[in-house]
Amino acid sequence: MLQVSDLHLRIGEASILNGVSFSAEAGDSIGIIGPNGSGKTTLFNCLSGFAFPVKGSVYLSGHDITHTPPYARAELGVGRVFQSFGIFREMTVMENLVVALESRAGILKTFFPWSMTSRMIRAKAKEFAAQVKLDGRLAERAGTLSGGQMRLLEIVRALAFGAEVFLLDEPTAGVSPKMKDEVAALINHVQKLGKTTLIIEHDINFVQSFSKRVLVLDQGRVILDDSPENVRKNELLREIYFGK
Amino acid sequence: MEYILHLAILVGIYLILAQSCNLTIGLGRLFNLAHVASYALGGYVTALASTELEMGFERCLISSALVAGLFATLLGGIALRLAGDYFAIGTLAFASIVSSLLINWKSVTKGVLGIPGIPRPEIAGVALYDNVQFGCLLGVIVIASLVILYCVFSSPFGRVLRGQAEDQLAMMALGRDVRLINTLGFLIASVFAGVAGSMFAYYINYIDPSSFSFSEMVFLVTIVVVGSPGSFWGCIAATFFLVLLPEPMRFIELPSSILGPMRQMIHSLVLLAVVWLNRAKLFPIQREV
Repeated sequence: MLQVSDLHLRIGEASILNGVSFSAEAGDSIGIIGPNGSGKTTLFNCLSGFAFPVKGSVYLSGHDITHTPPYARAELGVGRVFQSFGIFREMTVMENLVVALESRAGILKTFFPWSMTSRMIRAKAKEFAAQVKLDGRLAERAGTLSGGQMRLLEIVRALAFGAEVFLLDEPTAGVSPKMKDEVAALINHVQKLGKTTLIIEHDINFVQSFSKRVLVLDQGRVILDDSPENVRKNELLREIYFGK
Repeated sequence: MEYILHLAILVGIYLILAQSCNLTIGLGRLFNLAHVASYALGGYVTALASTELEMGFERCLISSALVAGLFATLLGGIALRLAGDYFAIGTLAFASIVSSLLINWKSVTKGVLGIPGIPRPEIAGVALYDNVQFGCLLGVIVIASLVILYCVFSSPFGRVLRGQAEDQLAMMALGRDVRLINTLGFLIASVFAGVAGSMFAYYINYIDPSSFSFSEMVFLVTIVVVGSPGSFWGCIAATFFLVLLPEPMRFIELPSSILGPMRQMIHSLVLLAVVWLNRAKLFPIQREV
């Protein structure tokens, strides 16, 4: 489904990605770990179209999307959950979900709020909000939600949008320990729906609970690509985090 | 009565102009400083088409809207490649080009002398010389414009424009081509600025570049900011408030050399006060990936 080959990316003089290659099949769940500055978020930027590699390619379901802009990749099914909360804080919870659902329905069909499509979209938005227990706060501004609730809203919004590949950049960053379990439950739900998930995390235990495979990035290269159990045991992991 | 009618007509023209400005600067948070240039183009197209080409009201109005829309498409295509402050500077450059053309392309625009003798609109063979008749026509156009703009504000398109103002990256991640959306927003806003310009030219019967100066742009920004950026009803209230605010000064016995600048000073002070009081929440800062 997703084929990443020999990605290279430079920012000024610095080489951020130095030949990253891996592939993911539909329904795969892959954890991506690595120290700060190893190129994890830049890799996600290349996959979602917010950065373009100088060399290498990205294929999604047979389409070459290496130089495709982000909105066109999203239409092809790439869903991005940002590390720094990509929700619209000034909009209500309902509007955040409606924007995602309308994106697939087309502007003309949803132009009038009393149209059948618009009413169906609102009903669907309520269903998605109920999945993350936000159906009681539909009319509230998203900016008033807690960090964990914002994260849940962002993930469920990507689900409402109809993403097939979820790029989750540190989904538990800024989330309280209690809400972390709810975020984990939602990611599990996404995986059970057969979606492909790539999760950047620092917490190997958290990654292990979701991922069948873990990629370890260091200095813009994939240095390990194995099961979470084998990655944990590998000395290289200890070395890149704590030094020799 | 004639004075009240004059104020009502001015408010009507500014309602179209300010609400269209609110679509880009307010809802889309795109600091388009060339909005007044679209207004000027609308005014000059009507002035030239009605005097030189003797075109009728409907054709003049449509031509003004089209030329202003074309300008916005060109502006959007180039300036929207710039981000943030650079975008504002880019639109300022466009506004400056239009202003220079109006002053220096004397064979067409007659420079600072302006274009006199713009006839009043003629509907079904009846020339609307009377301000009451003109006011009625303007009223219909204002209501139609505001209804269309209200639909745009509350439509999915308006929601996308509002969303990208807050977070362009998130909007792109939801499959929206932000540049296209912004260009469309520009186009719609500029078309209505062209309509306002056309009606202004028909009302005043004479236009020159001084009616479309940068201080006019400052006035529009003041209306949008005072009405709360992106608020449809706030913008309407602010238009009434700010257009009528300096009027009581006419009844104070002061020389016109003082009264004129005082109007601009009052508007600028109101803008400064509102920005100061709302400095934390007026315009969001875009985040990076």
